[in-house]
Amino acid sequence: MAERVFAGKLERAGFADVWVGGHRPFGIDQAALYPLFTSEVIQVMRQTIPVEHQDHVATGVIVKAAKPG
Amino acid sequence: MARDLMFQQEIKETVQQAYAAIATGAGETVARRLYSDQELADVSPGAIAWALGVGNPVRYARLQPGQAVLDVGSGGGIDTILAAKRVDSQGRAIGLDVLEEMCERGRGHAAQAGVEGWTEFRQGEMEAIPLPDESVDVVISNGVLNLSARKSRALAEIFRVLRPGGRICMADLTVEGELPPEVANDQSAWAG
Repeated sequence: MAERVFAGKLERAGFADVWVGGHRPFGIDQAALYPLFTSEVIQVMRQTIPVEHQDHVATGVIVKAAKPG
Repeated sequence: MARDLMFQQEIKETVQQAYAAIATGAGETVARRLYSDQELADVSPGAIAWALGVGNPVRYARLQPGQAVLDVGSGGGIDTILAAKRVDSQGRAIGLDVLEEMCERGRGHAAQAGVEGWTEFRQGEMEAIPLPDESVDVVISNGVLNLSARKSRALAEIFRVLRPGGRICMADLTVEGELPPEVANDQSAWAG
């Protein structure tokens, strides 16, 4: 899910003051730390994602929003 | 429509099976990347071993003593426990997880951390949260919303259980652009 899509879903749900921050790159090496990613999919990622993008496949974010009072 | 519902069900089952299949906690390396030494000292080794999140929402959530906080997709309970420490015994921390075995782990880890008196774990789905309307002050989650095949439904449920003026603080992964189809269509990538 793209950041703008995430923010849009929050606004459509009724949330206000949507804030997205704390951006951290998430690469294949990070994904490999999680048991939920099989070694097979990690291998596929290394084979199919361009080397220059492998250290930033996704972005870790913090998303904050408020329910209007 | 029927095909979409079948696909949603397939994603849900894949994610649940992936989490249920984790035999032993493998989260220590993840935890050391996301939490400070002080935060790790506040939780039990078991909670650290089951840390499978992607961020540290409690650090950003500005929790206050006395608040009621819901951790959606609580897993082994590390964020629920850290939240419980911050809302203190005047408050209430609730972990919600779709797997009862994760809830059971969370209860054990909360007891080891000494917060069991105001911390509970409930089995349930984020798309049908088993809590009354307007019953919590803050909702946190950590790498969980992306696992839902019905994200808008999950957000509507979170909105429902929050009190007016309540807040969410979620850690998650975003992806700009397209992943290669070999990755996007891999079932373990859905769960991860």
